[in-house]
This record gives sequence, C-alpha cells and structure tokens, in this order.
Amino acid sequence: MLFDTSSSEISDQGLLRIAEEEEKVNNKLEQLLVKQCQIEAKMSGIGRAMVLLHTVDSDSTKLNMQIVNTAQLAESVSAKVRRLDLARCRASECQQRVHDLIDLQLCSQGVVKAVIEEDFEKGAAHVARFLAMDQQLLHRTADDVSITSVSDAVQTLEDATEKIRELISRRFDEAVKSNDLASVERFFKIFPLVGYHRIGIDKFSKYICLKLSDKAQKELRNVQDIAKAECRLQLAYADRLTSILENFARVVEVNQPIVEAYYGQESASLIDMIAILQEECDAEAKNLLLEFNKNRQIVYRSKQVYECTQRSSNGTTSSNSIPSLGHYRKPSGGSIDKLNPKEIDAIIAEITVMHSRVELYFRFMRRRMQIHVDTCVPEKEDQIIIMNRYERIVKNADLRRQMQEILSTYLLFERYFMEESVLKAIGLDKYEAGQQCSSIVDDVFFILRKSIRRALTTQSINGTCAVINNVAACLDGDFIAALKTPLKSGYTSGYIDLAQAYNAIQTTLQQGKLHSTDADRSRTNFLVQLNNADMSTEYIETLCQTMELEIAGTFPCTTPVERQLLDSCLTELKAVRDALKATVDFGMQQLRSSAIKPRINPWINKFLSYSHNLTEEELAIYEAEETFVQFFIVHLDGLLNSFKTALSPRNYDALVSILATEVTIQLERAIKKCSFNRLGGLILDQEVRALGTYLTGATSWSVRDKMTRISQIATVLNLDKVSELSEFWSPDSNKEMPSWHLTLNEVRAILALRIDFRIEDIKRLQL
Amino acid sequence: MEDYKFLFKIVLVGNAGVGKTCLVRRFTQGLFPPGQGATIGVDFMIKTVEVEGEKIKLQIWDTAGQERFRSITQSYYRSAHALILVYDISCQPTFDCLPDWLREIQEYANSKVLKILVGNKTDRDDREIPTQIGEEFAKQHDMYFLETSAKEAENVERLFYEIAAELIGQARSKDGSSAAAAAAAQRQSDGSSIGLASLGAKAAQSNCCGGLANAGGGSSASNTSQGG
Repeated sequence: MLFDTSSSEISDQGLLRIAEEEEKVNNKLEQLLVKQCQIEAKMSGIGRAMVLLHTVDSDSTKLNMQIVNTAQLAESVSAKVRRLDLARCRASECQQRVHDLIDLQLCSQGVVKAVIEEDFEKGAAHVARFLAMDQQLLHRTADDVSITSVSDAVQTLEDATEKIRELISRRFDEAVKSNDLASVERFFKIFPLVGYHRIGIDKFSKYICLKLSDKAQKELRNVQDIAKAECRLQLAYADRLTSILENFARVVEVNQPIVEAYYGQESASLIDMIAILQEECDAEAKNLLLEFNKNRQIVYRSKQVYECTQRSSNGTTSSNSIPSLGHYRKPSGGSIDKLNPKEIDAIIAEITVMHSRVELYFRFMRRRMQIHVDTCVPEKEDQIIIMNRYERIVKNADLRRQMQEILSTYLLFERYFMEESVLKAIGLDKYEAGQQCSSIVDDVFFILRKSIRRALTTQSINGTCAVINNVAACLDGDFIAALKTPLKSGYTSGYIDLAQAYNAIQTTLQQGKLHSTDADRSRTNFLVQLNNADMSTEYIETLCQTMELEIAGTFPCTTPVERQLLDSCLTELKAVRDALKATVDFGMQQLRSSAIKPRINPWINKFLSYSHNLTEEELAIYEAEETFVQFFIVHLDGLLNSFKTALSPRNYDALVSILATEVTIQLERAIKKCSFNRLGGLILDQEVRALGTYLTGATSWSVRDKMTRISQIATVLNLDKVSELSEFWSPDSNKEMPSWHLTLNEVRAILALRIDFRIEDIKRLQL
Repeated sequence: MEDYKFLFKIVLVGNAGVGKTCLVRRFTQGLFPPGQGATIGVDFMIKTVEVEGEKIKLQIWDTAGQERFRSITQSYYRSAHALILVYDISCQPTFDCLPDWLREIQEYANSKVLKILVGNKTDRDDREIPTQIGEEFAKQHDMYFLETSAKEAENVERLFYEIAAELIGQARSKDGSSAAAAAAAQRQSDGSSIGLASLGAKAAQSNCCGGLANAGGGSSASNTSQGG
C-alpha cells in the first residue's frame, strides 16, 4: 500500500487506518482460533465413524451376495412353477376337451331324440352346447384320434343343427301365419341357442311390424270415428301419431329385457331390432301424415298462405312510398279466398303436438338405448359404436325428415297467423279514455308471446329460433310502422293551440269518448302512439325475460351451439327495443318542433320587453308586479300540465328535458340581445335560479345539468366587478360550481352586456 | 367482457351440397371434413378477426340448403349484414337456382345488405360454369363475386376478410355521416377525418360494380397462376 507520507498528519491518519486494519485482522484470527476446537472435535468424530463405516461396508457386501443367491434360487423355482402351471393349463384344457367329447356324445344322442320328440328347447340346448365348443378343435380332435365315434357325433350334431335351424324357422313362420303369439315367443327365444341371433331378431321384428302395421291401418281407417268418440277432432291426427309412437315405444320397452336375456351375447341385437322397427314406424307415420295432409288440406292452405304473404309483401313494397297507408292492409275478409288465421289456429296446434310427440319418442328411445348399452355392453368402444349407430338411424329416419317438413309448414302457418293477427290488432286499435296507451300494445304482445310459447311446445330449437326471428321482424316492421305513422304527420295540423289539445284530452278523459275534431283526434292519437312506443320498450324487455326463463325450462340440456343459437335470436329480439326507442325519440323531436319551440318563443320574447337597466325604485316596482319568471313559470306549468296526465312518466320526463333544453337555448339567445346593469344582473340571476328550481322540481330526471350554462351566464352578469370573476373562475375555489361550460371569449361577450363594465377591464381580463 | 369493436352477422345461403358448411369450417376451424351430413336448420359459428387494426367478431350462420328448411333459414335474413350466395361451379343447376335465391333475399333481407356471389369448388376439374358467366351474373345483380375452393383453402380467408373490411367501411361511413350532420361545427381535425370517411363511402358505393370486376379478375388471375 502506498501512503502519501509527505505530511505527518496524513501519515498519522495512515497509521491509524493500519492500526484499525490490524485490529480487524486480529479479531478474525481470534474467531478462527475459537472454531479450531470444534473442528478438531468433529475430526475425531469422523475418525471414529470411519472404523464403523468399514464394518458396514463389509456387511453390505455380504448381504449383497446373499440377495444374489436368493434371487437365483427364486428364479429357478419360479421357472419350475411356470412349467407346472403350463402343464396344469394343458391338463385342464385336456379335461375340457374330454368333457366336450363326452358332452358331444350325449348331445348327439340327445339331439336326435329331441328332434324326434319335437322338444326344441332341449334340442336347441344341445346344439347350443355343441356350438359353444371350439369347432376347429373338435375337427382336429376327430382327425387326431381317428375314432369314428367322434367324427360321427360331430357330423350328427352338424346335421341336427341345420335341421333344427330349418325347423325352427319354419315353425316360427307357421306360428306367425296362424298368429300364435305363444309359439312366436317360444321360437324367438330358441333362435339364439342355435346361433341364429340375427335371423331371430329379424323374424321377430318383422312379426311385430306386421302386427303394428295391421293395428295402425285399422286406426287410420277410423281416425275420424276414434277422434269423435274421444271428442278430440281437432287433434285427431296428432292423437293417432301419438298412438303409433306409443306402440313402438311399448314394443321396445317390453322386449328389451327378453332381448337382453336371450340375445345378450350379441351386443348389436337390440339396435338391429330398433333399426327394423324404425323403418316400419317411418312407413306408418308417413301413411298417417299423408292422410293428415289430405284431410287438413295442408297443401291447399300452404298455397293460400304463400299467395297472401306474396301479395302483402308486394303490397308493402308499393305502399312504402306512401307511408300513411303502410299498415292499412285490409286485415282479412278483403278477398274471398284469403285464409282466416283462426282457421289454421287449430292446425298449428295439432302440428306442434305432433312434432313434440316425435321429439319425445326419439328422446325415449335414446334413453332406452343408453340404459341398454350401460348395462349390457361392457366395452366402452362398443357402447360408442352402438350409440352412434342409433344416432345415425334417428338422423336418417324418414320420420325425422317428415317432421322437418311439417315443422316447415308449422313455421309458415305460425308466421301467417302471427302477422295477420298483429295486423288485425293494429286495425282494431282502440283507445280507452283515461289510459295512456291503447289496446294495440297489449294485444300485439299477447299474440307474439302466444306464438313463441307455441313454438316452444314443438320442442324444436330450430323452430323456436325461427319464430323468435319472425317475431322480431314483425315488431320491427308492421308494429313500428303502425306506431310511427301518426308520429310522422306531426303533433299539430296547421295551428298551434295547446289549450285545445289539452282540452281535447281532458274531455276524452272526462267523458270517455271522442267527439272532437279530427285535429284533436290526431293529437290524442299522436300522444297515445308515443306512449305505446315507450310502453313497448318495457314490454319487449319483459317478453325477452319471460321467454328466456321458459326456454331454459323447455330445453334443460342444450349443447353450447344450441345455447348460442337461442341467445343470439333473443338478442336480435331485444335489439328491436332500439328501434322502438328511436321511434320515441322521433316523436319527441316532432313534439319539440311542433309543440314546444313555437310555444316558448312568444313567452321568451316577453323577456325582451322588460328593461334590465333598473334603478332601486324600478326594481321595487318590478318585483311588486308579476315578474318575468313568474309569468314564464305559470305558462310553462300550464304547458307541462297539459301533458302530464297524457304522457307516460318516461315520456313526460323526456318532454321536460326537451323543454329545459329549448328554454335555455332561447333564453340565452334573448339574454344576448339585452343589456344589463348591476341590478338587472341581480334580477336575472334570481330568475334563472327560480327557473332552475321549477324545472328540477318538475321531473325526476336531473335537468340541472342542462341549466348549468344558463346559470353560469347569469352568474357572470351578476358580478359586482369584472375582477370578481377570477374568484368564480378557478375551478377549485368553488366546489359547488360545475366546471365552466363557457369559453373565455363567450364570458367576455357576456360581460360586455353589462353597461356598467368598462370594455378595457373586460379586455384585460386574464384567467 | 369480450373485447371487439364491431359485430357482423354473415349468412350463407345456396342450394344443398354446394359447400356452405365446408366454407365455414375451413374459415373458422381450418378443416375440410369430407362426407359432412346435410346441415339441419341452421348452424352457428363465431370467429374474431382483426382488420385494419380493429377486432371484429363475425357471427357466421350456416344455413341448410334443402327446401324443407327454407322457412327456418329465411327468418335469419333480416338481421344479416352480409349474405353469401354460394353455387357449385361444377353443377349447373345450382347456378340456375340463383334467381330464386335472389328473389328470396329481396323479400326477406334488409335492402342494404351486402351481397356476395361465391362460386365454390374451383378444385374440381369438371367445371360447368365459366368464371366470366358468374362474374357477369354478379355484376347484373349488384353483388361482389369470388370463386373459392374450401378443399384447397383458396380464397376462403380472402372472402371473409374482404366482407369484414367492406362492412367496417359501411359502418364507419354511417357513423361518420350522422356525426358530420350533427356536429358540423366541431373541431377541424375531426371534421376532416369525417369528410374522408364519407368520401370513401361514396367511392365504395359508386365503385361497387368496378369492385366486383376487380374481385373477379383477381380471383381468375390467381387461378391461372396456380394452374401454371
């Protein structure tokens, strides 16, 4: 280390530092020395342990040797055991073979006897025993031992098998022919014993089909009579379809345990049976539906509906150019061949019942299949294969296709029914005095709810979605057009007199009938439709909510895609609310331009007629008389009161809000035309406050926000000195005051309205 | 909450077996599953794409082509932003049905709906409808035109991305024009951007047919280049 030794001071410091270092080193050394003892103790411990470790090492080597020896021994033993086991297996196989051979002899003797005695159960049991033997092994055994008795027995049994199979088949056919149910069932149970699983299922299923077909045909011939007897003519075909499906479901339910018990070893048996039954079911349903189509004149009616919608859609496109005629398509009765919606109401109901029954039927069968595979098919893979096969059967079933077609008819009819009924409700729209809304809202939403509910009863998600879409289209089209038409023509006709409108509504309210002029009627209608639109926004929300609940109740287990499908359609329905809100806004703007704006104008003009340069004396006189704000509020109150009972609360609030906007705009304009002195400003500030209090009190909505700008103008005009403004201006100095809605230039222009403020002061104003 | 700026509904229509489901699967899942069964009613897929830096959610409605599902599928036209009308270039009857489809669209869909004519299955050798015929048909009926192959994934992405871009343009110009009317005296920077947007919209509208020809020309060009 190098130290600057030039001065003693520095060298002293160096010395001191060296001394410190030395002390530190000493300390460290001491610490190390203290540890020495410990380390030595540990070292001696280790030395002792080493001795022990040596013994452990030799011991473990010994142990290792022993283990290796044992392993060798064990291996040689287990090899012997394996050999023994193999020998035992062979012995038991041999034993089995001997048993087989013994049985073979017994069987071959028994079977011949059984066949002769026609004891098919016994014979088939022998054959079953024979078939359970390994055929190849049998043949080889026969060859190996070359004992003729064995090969003879095999031969006998093979022949007997053929014979029994043939006999049973013949007997079964005979039993079918003579309609001997007991024998049919008897032979059905024998088929699997002789290895004829597939044929047994086939024959038996066909037999059942034959029986069901007979029954169905008989019923089909007597559809009308049965329905009449049951007093359900409206649902005659739906009931027949139900009975067909019930029959098939019952057959499966009854025979499933038999099939499982006798045909259990062949896992595809039940599904084979169902496949055959489904074909028959398809055919029977088809016959029934043909009859249904013919009897209910589905084709003819579809054509009528199609033509009507075609005509009316052409009608709307042409009348769109003349909106006032938009919804006055004649609701039924216009032409002779037009279909009355009531006429198809019953058919719609019948179709929904049919569709839901089929859904129910497939659901029932699927559940049966699921239970079947869960209990009787051990392999997971086989389960999946069988269930997939079932899904394929369902998907490709003609019955499914038929239902898709009938659903299409349903949707066509349902839409027609809904649209026509809605048009009728629009045509019959009736306003009850004392109400804010007319009948149209309740009626239309009742119809729409009915349609969606009915769609739900079809149990079809696709159908429900389509109906929800159609409902949305209907609301968005005809319904909104009907509400909007009177709004388009505006609130007044030529002259503006709210007192008259008010009176008209009052008389309607009091006397309960309309006997006023057309203008009055159109004004009332305007307000009613405005309320209708407002009410509809609420109804649509309620409709969506209730339908959401009912959908969740009807379809408890949907796939994610189906869920999304339903949600998306409901969202679309909800979106119609926006169109309704736009209609309300449109009406409000109409009201503003035709009822509010021109009405306020003369009242505001009165503001200009007052002097705003007041002496103390003049102020006293002004305050003694009716002030402007008193006059203004009285008139505003009159205006608002005329609407208060006629408008729905939300619409009334919107009206107050529009009124507040209009008042502030016009008042601001008027203020800018006047000049003020100190007292004039004071009065204005008071009056603006009074106005603000009045408007805030008139509604539950906050209109204070709309008043901010005008009250700030009043504040500026109510200043003592120009310089005072800075106290108000800085936003944190005054918490009550919301941030300024005026720009600096606007403030300057307003200040200039005060005649007692000097222009230079205003110009100098820095903020 | 899902984060996307626009939600557009696209409905695919056209005869049974022209490959609507395959187009949708190719686009949404990148798969071409052969041997698809016929669609029942409607199927529903969602894909979020990013166009011009905006996240856009596309709701794609894949409808059944068979006649008996018509009354289900029709009900979805009204709320569609874009309708893709698909035919099979190797199957004349699917092309001959196009006027029927257009009539149906005319009746049920919004008059301002974006319509795209798509000739699918360009991978097939047995073409029956030349590109030009399809192009002309589209031009006549004021539709965009594109030929695709769901199997070879050709033009499928492009089809949906162009629709998304076009729909964004429409949405913006709609917002822009209303905003421009309401706030004419707004700040200048805003004003200029609104002006641009509405100009763009006009250009797009008047350019509609030109755009079709371009789209068609582009696709045929890419076809030939692929062939060579």
